[in-house]
Amino acid sequence: MKGLNRKGKESPQIFPASGEELRKMHQRDCLIFFLTLVSTTAAAFIFRGMVANPDVNITMFYTLGIFLVARYTSGYVWGLLFAILSVLSVNFFFTYPYSTFNLTLEGYPITFAAMFLIYMVTSAMTTDMKRQASVLASQEKELMEAQKEKMRANLLRAVSHDLRTPLTGIIGNSGSYLKMEDSLTDEEKRGIVQNIESDANWLLNMVENLLSVTRINNETASVNKSLEPVDEVMSSAVVRFRKRFPEALINVFLPEDLIMVMMDPTLIEQVIINILQNAQVHSHSALPIELRAYEDREHVWFSIKDYGVGIDEKKIDTIFDGEGYRSSEDVKVDGYKGMGIGLSICKTIIMAHGGDIVARNHGEGSEFLFYLPKETEE
Amino acid sequence: MLQKLSILVIEDEKSICDFITKTLNAQNYKTTSAHTGKDGLAILTSALPDLVLLDLGLPDMDGLDIIQQTRRWSSLPIIVISARTQEREKVAALDAGADDYITKPFGTDELLARIRTAIRHSNKIMTDSMNNNRPYSAKGLTVDFDKRLVTVDGNEIHLTRVEYKIVSMLAKNSGKVITYSSLIDQVWGPYADDNNRILRVNMANIRRKLEKNPGEPVYIFTELGIGYRMIEDENIE
Repeated sequence: MKGLNRKGKESPQIFPASGEELRKMHQRDCLIFFLTLVSTTAAAFIFRGMVANPDVNITMFYTLGIFLVARYTSGYVWGLLFAILSVLSVNFFFTYPYSTFNLTLEGYPITFAAMFLIYMVTSAMTTDMKRQASVLASQEKELMEAQKEKMRANLLRAVSHDLRTPLTGIIGNSGSYLKMEDSLTDEEKRGIVQNIESDANWLLNMVENLLSVTRINNETASVNKSLEPVDEVMSSAVVRFRKRFPEALINVFLPEDLIMVMMDPTLIEQVIINILQNAQVHSHSALPIELRAYEDREHVWFSIKDYGVGIDEKKIDTIFDGEGYRSSEDVKVDGYKGMGIGLSICKTIIMAHGGDIVARNHGEGSEFLFYLPKETEE
Repeated sequence: MLQKLSILVIEDEKSICDFITKTLNAQNYKTTSAHTGKDGLAILTSALPDLVLLDLGLPDMDGLDIIQQTRRWSSLPIIVISARTQEREKVAALDAGADDYITKPFGTDELLARIRTAIRHSNKIMTDSMNNNRPYSAKGLTVDFDKRLVTVDGNEIHLTRVEYKIVSMLAKNSGKVITYSSLIDQVWGPYADDNNRILRVNMANIRRKLEKNPGEPVYIFTELGIGYRMIEDENIE
C-alpha cells in the first residue's frame, strides 16, 4: 500500500510535480541508470572471466538491467537509453573483436536487432505496468479521500444539530431565570439550574467526543499508539461511564490473561463509553449490559451486549454513518439525541486503529463488536 | 482552624477563576487570584500561599516554567488544572514537580478533595516522619507499612515483593496520581527499562488479588496515559 502511493507520486502524468521535485526525480533516475549500467557491465565482465562461452548469459544480464531501470525510473526515456547502450556495450565489450564496434559480422545485425526489440518491448511493458499500478493507487486514494470527506460532512451536520439542542436549553433556562428571578419559587429555580447542568453535561460529552477526533492524524488517518493493557482501558471506561450513570447495571468480563494491544487508550476508552451510553440510553435493556474482551490469533475483540429493544434492521447498515437523524420522524420518539455522532466517531476511531466495528441484533437485544489488530510495538 | 489556609489561583479564564475562588472562600480558604503567569509568580514569591492551583494554558508563559521555578525554592503543593486531552502536558507537569492535577471541567467536590489531599501530604512531610508509617486503610483495604501486611476485609492478601512495593507506594501517596515513570523509578530503580509492560503486568495481578470486581475497581484507579491513583486514606485527621 505504501509502495503504491510512493510510486504514484513519482509519476508526473498523474501528480504534477513541482520544479524542485522534478529535478530531484531526474537526479535520482539518472543515478539509478548509471549504477545499473555500471554494475551490469561489471557483472558481465566478472562472469566472462569465469565461464567458457558466456555470450548468451551476458545478454541475460543486460535484460535484467533493463527490467530494473524500466521499473525504478519514470517515463520511457531511461529504459530506452539503457536498451541502446546495452546493445552497444555487448557489441563493444563482449563480441569479437573486443573493444571495437563491429556491426558487419555475419548474422550479428539480426541478433542485435532481436536483442534491441526485446529490450524495447520489456522497457515499454514495465513502464506501462507501473503506470497502471499508479493509476490504481491514485483511484484508491481518491476513494479514501471521498470517504473521509463524507465522514467529515456527516460529522459537521451532526455537530451543528447536536450542539444546538443543549445550547438552546442552556440559553433558554438561564435567560428565563434571570428575567423572572423574583417570581420563581425556590423549587422552580432549582429545576431550571438542574436543566442547565444536565444540558451542560451533555454538551461536555459531545465536546469530548469531538476533541477525541482531533487526536486522529488528518493526513494519514492514524493515531499515536502505545502498548496498553485491555483490562485497564475497560475498567477506566466503566468508571467514567458510572460518573454519568451511577445507577447503570453493567457486568464487566475481563479477559482471563493480561492482553496488551497497540492503541491510543483514551480513544478506545471513548469508544467503549459511547457504546455503553448508547446502550444505556436507547436499548431499555432488561438485564445488565455486558462488556467483555477476548483475543484470537490476530485480533483483540471488544463486545458490548444489551438485552433491550435491539436495533432497527433498516438502520443497522448505516448506524455508524452519522446519518441517523436525517430521516428522522421515528427518531424523535425516544428522544434520540446524539446517537449518530457518538457512533460515527466510534467508527472513525476504530478505523484509524486499523480495526473494524459492527452492530448486530442477537435475538434478545443488540451487540456492538469491534476489534483491534494485534501488532508489535515498533 | 485559627489560621485560614491560603490558596493562590493562577488561571486566565475569569469565569473559571471566579467560580473557584467563590467555592474556596465558602469553604473557609483564603484565596488570591492571578490571571497571568507573571503576576502569579510575583504573588507566589511575596505572599507564600499554602497551595497553588495552576492552569497550564496561560497566555504569557508556560505553566511548566512556573512549576520549575517554584520548585527551585519551595515544595509547596501545586495542583495543575488542565484539559482532558493533554496527557503529555500532565505527565510533564507531574514530572516537573506538580503534586497532582485536576481535569477541566471539574465539580466542586473533586476540587476540594484534591486540595485536601495535597495539603495533607504536604503536612505529612513537614511534621513527624513517624506519622508516615501509620497504616493506610480505606473501604476495607489496609496496608500496614511496619508489618508489610496487606489485608482486604480482614483477610491477608499475599503479594510478591514487587507487588507490595507498588501497593505501598500508592498507599503512601493515596489520593494522588502517581505517574508510570515515578512508580518504575521507585520500584525498579532509575536504570530500569523504560518499557512499562512489567508494571502493567504487576498491576493486573495486584488488581486481581485486591479488587472484588477488577472490572470496576474501587481501590486503584487507572488514569489512562498517566499513571495510577489509590483511593484516599480514610484515617485523615
